[in-house]
Amino acid sequence: MGPLIPNGLIPMEWDSIIAIIIGIAFGFVLEASGFSSSRKLAGVFYGYDFAVLKVFFTAAAVSVIGIYYMDYLGYLDINQLYVHPTYLWAAIIGGIIMGIGFVAGGFCPGTSLCAVAIGKLDAWVYVGGIMIGVFVFSELYSFFEPIYNGYFLGNITLVDSFGWNPYWVIFIFSIIAIVAFVVSDVVRKKVKKVFYS
Amino acid sequence: MDKKKIARVTSFRYQILALIFILLAGGLVLLPKYQKQEGIKSEALLSHATSPERYISTDQIANKIINKDPSFILIDVREEESFKNYSLPNAINIPLAKLFDEESLPYLNQSQFDVVFFSNDHFYADQAWMLCNRRGFKNLRVLNGGLNTWFTTIINPEKPSQDMPAEAFELYATRKASSMYFGVFYPDQQAVAEESISNTPAPKKVITVQKKKKKPVEGGC
Repeated sequence: MGPLIPNGLIPMEWDSIIAIIIGIAFGFVLEASGFSSSRKLAGVFYGYDFAVLKVFFTAAAVSVIGIYYMDYLGYLDINQLYVHPTYLWAAIIGGIIMGIGFVAGGFCPGTSLCAVAIGKLDAWVYVGGIMIGVFVFSELYSFFEPIYNGYFLGNITLVDSFGWNPYWVIFIFSIIAIVAFVVSDVVRKKVKKVFYS
Repeated sequence: MDKKKIARVTSFRYQILALIFILLAGGLVLLPKYQKQEGIKSEALLSHATSPERYISTDQIANKIINKDPSFILIDVREEESFKNYSLPNAINIPLAKLFDEESLPYLNQSQFDVVFFSNDHFYADQAWMLCNRRGFKNLRVLNGGLNTWFTTIINPEKPSQDMPAEAFELYATRKASSMYFGVFYPDQQAVAEESISNTPAPKKVITVQKKKKKPVEGGC
């Protein structure tokens, strides 16, 4: 049956409208749960607030379990889902840069836009920084291109490239998630509390 | 009393949620596995098989080749020996046994070009079509009748008899013209060519004839 759009259950023309609705809902949930505060995000690195870790880990684990149950019951074909292509070194270097930006600025690109929407000044500065980064990258594109387009590995997944059993991977991933939540709670209780709005 | 009970349960809410979470993940591991059908659904395969787009006629393909249509690739699924002996122009040889080889997949598993299978008849080509369709490849066609029909229609078209409709003569003319494109030589083609050769210097001859006519007149004078 699913995925709904590639199989024509929802016409392709609704793509943008659905994307806008999901985007608004995502932004609203981010803001409502306090993710537009840079302190909340930076809290993961300083150990006083692990909400970001818990939310994104839970989201990934719940959705992967749901997808595999739906695949098992025949409501969704996993092979039809879009797998983002891997550019190995571009992903590693980009990840490091984004991590530094994350801990230094206290935003990820999505939450920074949420914070811009509610008028936080640091978010304005942060988004300005993103724009400068985009500009610098575009200007030096010919210099970065070999890394940007190189080390292309195709639309691979861990399960395919290592030949793992996906069900065991999900089970182990869930256990890791639970362990990470418990450990993060222990850490949070030991670290001095920080109060912020 | 009830509130106390609820409070006691909810104080364990994270543990309960974690337990449900682990149970669900473990359930995936423990579920009995079954062989899933790979490739497209049988209903989709049936609709492809009954689609009028499945077959392409020799006339259509001849027209495409002559007009240098870049939108399709011809795949010859016969053995390499027969391929070397005769094949359609620009055809690619992928014997049926090597259909799913590493180097043949880029030709078949793509969405830019129409893939037209052909063999001597359309028997092997149909099998290749079916196998590729099962794998979910797109834009697959079969040359109706294969090379045998190619020979009887395009290379050596049957001359229509006098009592046949005008369309048959038109079709014959088109087929004959396309067979000329593919290198067939007709005796009457030579005659036409000779006529055209004799026609072009004709004005000169006419002039000479006129001169000849004049000469006796001159001689008469």
